[in-house]
Amino acid sequence: MIILYAFTTKGNSVLTLQFTFSNFTRFFEDSIFPNVLVRSLRLAFFTTVACIILGYPCAYFISKLNVSKRNMMILLITFPMWTNMLVRTYAWRGLLLNMPISNELKVYIGMIYNFIPFMILQVYTSLAKMDQSLLSASADLGANRFQTFLKVTLPLSLPGVITGITLVFLPAVSSFFIPKLLGGGDYVLIGNLIEHYFVSTGDWNFGSAISLIMAFVILASMYLTKKLDKDVKEAK
Amino acid sequence: MKKLIQFKNIVKQFDGQVVLKGINLDIYENEFVTLLGPSGCGKTTLLRILGGFLEQDQGQVIFDGEDITNTPAYKRDINTVFQKYALFPHLNVYDNIAFGLKLKKISKDIIEQKVNRMLSLVGLEGYGKRDVTQLSGGQQQRVAIARALVNEPGVLLLDEPLGALDLKLRKEMQLELKKIQKEVGITFIFVTHDQEEALTMSDKIVVMKNGEIQQIGSPEEIYNEPENEYVARFIGESNIIDGKMIQDYVVEFDEKKYDCVDFGFKENEEVDIVIRPEDIDIVARNHGLLNGEVKSVLFKGVHYEIIVETVSGTSKTVTMHVLGNKDIVNDAAKEKISASDFYLDLEDVDSLNNSEVIARANAQAWDFDNEDISISKVSYNVLNAKGQYPCTFTTANGTSITVTITVVEPVYTEDVNNEEAVQAFDFYKTVDEIKESIALDTDLKRWANATAWSLEDDSRVEIWDVKYDFDEENIVEGDYKITFATKGREFKIHTTDYVEVNAKVGLKFSKEDIHVMSKMGF
Repeated sequence: MIILYAFTTKGNSVLTLQFTFSNFTRFFEDSIFPNVLVRSLRLAFFTTVACIILGYPCAYFISKLNVSKRNMMILLITFPMWTNMLVRTYAWRGLLLNMPISNELKVYIGMIYNFIPFMILQVYTSLAKMDQSLLSASADLGANRFQTFLKVTLPLSLPGVITGITLVFLPAVSSFFIPKLLGGGDYVLIGNLIEHYFVSTGDWNFGSAISLIMAFVILASMYLTKKLDKDVKEAK
Repeated sequence: MKKLIQFKNIVKQFDGQVVLKGINLDIYENEFVTLLGPSGCGKTTLLRILGGFLEQDQGQVIFDGEDITNTPAYKRDINTVFQKYALFPHLNVYDNIAFGLKLKKISKDIIEQKVNRMLSLVGLEGYGKRDVTQLSGGQQQRVAIARALVNEPGVLLLDEPLGALDLKLRKEMQLELKKIQKEVGITFIFVTHDQEEALTMSDKIVVMKNGEIQQIGSPEEIYNEPENEYVARFIGESNIIDGKMIQDYVVEFDEKKYDCVDFGFKENEEVDIVIRPEDIDIVARNHGLLNGEVKSVLFKGVHYEIIVETVSGTSKTVTMHVLGNKDIVNDAAKEKISASDFYLDLEDVDSLNNSEVIARANAQAWDFDNEDISISKVSYNVLNAKGQYPCTFTTANGTSITVTITVVEPVYTEDVNNEEAVQAFDFYKTVDEIKESIALDTDLKRWANATAWSLEDDSRVEIWDVKYDFDEENIVEGDYKITFATKGREFKIHTTDYVEVNAKVGLKFSKEDIHVMSKMGF
């Protein structure tokens, strides 16, 4: 249906279909739209990077705890997920509303907060299932703690990081209500655009075209992460 | 030879439980040392302390003249082959072996030379590019050995490395490990619970139990002159007999004196005597030192394992009254009921209750579709005196059966020599119950309420033997004798000569074959 809408003009019925590429050309002719796309990708990219930087040490720390403390920490991390994402974001809005920080930073805080559990859980799982005797073996062969981390722990946890990237990056590209709620009106992202054309203006054709473009971008980025995953596996 | 490692009074506790109780042990250069003991004896803990993965609570570890107590694992000139190999799954065979060398910043071509030399030492030439996860258990084992040895450590620690391999591969690896150790000429410390493995490979065996060293010695010393009963049992199958050292070179057991080569015990000291199964010969009756009857013969491949009883156990014979089936049929209620008479120990009268009576009489009721029905009423009036008392079982629909409970005084036989007593009661059973029994010996013991105990300390003694001469498949009504006996003095003998079960034979062994040990102090 989305594909059908994307390639047709506005206002025709099922009987009088008029195919067109104008929805797509319109997207690329106007520099605003590609800019929004780039901005979305940038937001998703930096959110993902921040999630790795903050989430990895957190997961590493949890995996070193004893079993009962570990389970407690995992529970604490998943606990906020029991409430709706929208509700949580509204809570952040209340918190951040009068803070003297830029809207962009507020959006980042909201994004990272919402997506970091996925990264932590993925990395934690890959760290927790790692055979602890490998660390002993590494020390036995003369590696100090840092070398052991670099040469054993990190490479073995990479698959978890890659799954984490997929789980953070993809929803982050298409998220629209976090930027909308936390970024004030002026932080327009591709998700907001789609929402705008579908809900506000009712231009389903153009909205569909944007969705398709985004779907393509997501597919491309999924392909890239898959490839990265494969390279990691082949590198061993 | 030079002392390479010295453990000095090593104590280790886990959660308040003492795992090592002050271990003192010297290990020399170029030795193949085995730490042998059951799981939980502390052998792996000791190895991990040496490897630097655990810290002892007390004591010192001296390595090459230096105290290494505070040296971290990665700085110790020691490498380990781990129980499950712990190969790095993200690296191939070559990179696994080169792991330690790369850390030492050795030039690439030298690493390559060394790794290739190791690959050929363990017989894995050309396997460098293979993924370690795709190797067989034996090959992974070899990679783990190569990975440790390539660093040219002063000592190689092996933590039950052969445990995961099948028997045939294990035997091969045992020989190969020994060969590798001779070739590289360093000390191997090997941990195992397998006594055969220890005997095959070691220069020196350290037998451990509960965090203490029981004996240190060459395989021959440990096998032939075990220091105590524990070592003797652990190291191989043995006949271990309680005896008394009459004087130097004379030991007594089962009321007979034997010459031996042991001395230095106190006069009349209680001792344990070990006679290895392969040291006993079976000869004609009255031609050996002991006479006995063959109880069982098992074929073990190279030899037969023959059990000969030289002194019979304490026994008690009872009568089993076998009756025909006498189900009572209640056509009106479409029910059947059955129960048997039984004998009751006078001492058990007080503790008698309904479920006990139902179980003893084996009272059962069922309908015409063979569905079980519960017995709703049990009425009996048993007095605390010898005699016969009626007992009636009734179902909810009024089907009932009456049996006789015979209260008798307990009768038991005592055997003063064995210091044991056996008690059992006569009992009634139906033909069907005997035919339906799956484990007849056990059922007979239960039905006769057969028990045995030691006269010395009242402790329970197992009823070892149930003898009867009826064919349970074709049993008919009548009285049968059943004899319950405890275990007598049995000797296990390994020999290549076959003898018939129940043959009367003599046993012969030389005085050198009697090994006398002091009793373990408790």
